Amino acid sequence: MIASRFRLVLAASCMAAPLAVHAHHSPAMFDGTKQLTLTGTVRKFQWTNPHSYIQLVVKAENGTEQEWSLEMGANVYLYNLGWRPSTVKAGDTLTATVVPLRSGKPGGLLVEAKTADGKTLGGAPP
Amino acid sequence: MNARCRIGLRVLACAFGGLAPFAGHAQPSRADWKGLWIGEGLTAQISGFPGPGANYKLLGQDAPWSAEGRARVEATSARQADSKANGWGFPLMMNSAAPMQFLIAPDETLIINIYRDVRHVYTDGRAHPAEEDRWPTTWGDSVGRWEGDTLVIDTVSVRNPNRYFFSSPPLSEQAHYVERLRMTSKDRIESVMTIEDPVTLTAPWVVNLVYVRATGLDRMIHDDYDNDRSEVEDGLFTILPAEE
Repeated sequence: MIASRFRLVLAASCMAAPLAVHAHHSPAMFDGTKQLTLTGTVRKFQWTNPHSYIQLVVKAENGTEQEWSLEMGANVYLYNLGWRPSTVKAGDTLTATVVPLRSGKPGGLLVEAKTADGKTLGGAPP
Repeated sequence: MNARCRIGLRVLACAFGGLAPFAGHAQPSRADWKGLWIGEGLTAQISGFPGPGANYKLLGQDAPWSAEGRARVEATSARQADSKANGWGFPLMMNSAAPMQFLIAPDETLIINIYRDVRHVYTDGRAHPAEEDRWPTTWGDSVGRWEGDTLVIDTVSVRNPNRYFFSSPPLSEQAHYVERLRMTSKDRIESVMTIEDPVTLTAPWVVNLVYVRATGLDRMIHDDYDNDRSEVEDGLFTILPAEE
């Protein structure tokens, strides 16, 4: 079962703030009352605009795989934080903290990404 | 304390740098405006949203709305969930997570952000064009002047900002915007924006804004929306599957 591979954490999130905005779409699609921790393998890192994405393949204990689409900010926002197009590569193992889609589909907003050795990716915010 | 004492203290402060406005630094000049700036506390995290405590003062939560203004706010709030924006527009670009640049020339100051929101602020002494020669646009018509080290910008003919960006205040096209921007240290620009709108406001709406340096950017970078995977499904956006 996929759920056994990640912890469902009910937590207050920055997304719960009603005035959180960015210049593309409303955050209403994300369930700001929840955060998930997913560990998986990167299939693709899209360094793009208006959002970057990490496609993360999460394997359940029964061996089935599910690909999650993890939305991030625009590539320039990531650059400002120290990320680069090569920061994440296909095949990398990542642990992602995600605010999930309200729809229950395998997608969400990425709020933190750590490497297999526990290092937070991309450097600290300025 | 009499005036002579105050002057004496100021001379001492300048001599030793302890109480001077820009202690240890030369007075900022217009050349110091170069570089990239961002709204204080609004730096986007990897999610694209700023961290906790971010204060978007220009969304309008504290504005002195009239009955018409409140009606507009309620109507726009109801339709945000499935709305998209292509940038910030004016005035929200002046209180956003998008780094921006002030390009100061003798006759004009350009304000540009990473979303390609652009304002042309003419500082050559001209007035706004005659009413028959202008029409409302997303960024409006701006003229400016320097009062010492303060850039004063007067903007009119701004289309209802909420039409461009669903979170913007739904001001009318009769709104008049005055900004007073001043560099208070080499890493800080402070602005007071005063908005008057006979249609949606009952009094001038005064907003204090601060810009600090976007320290992670070494240059202005623009890009188009080359990978828009957001699409409305059952009244909310969803993330479309990635292309193979």
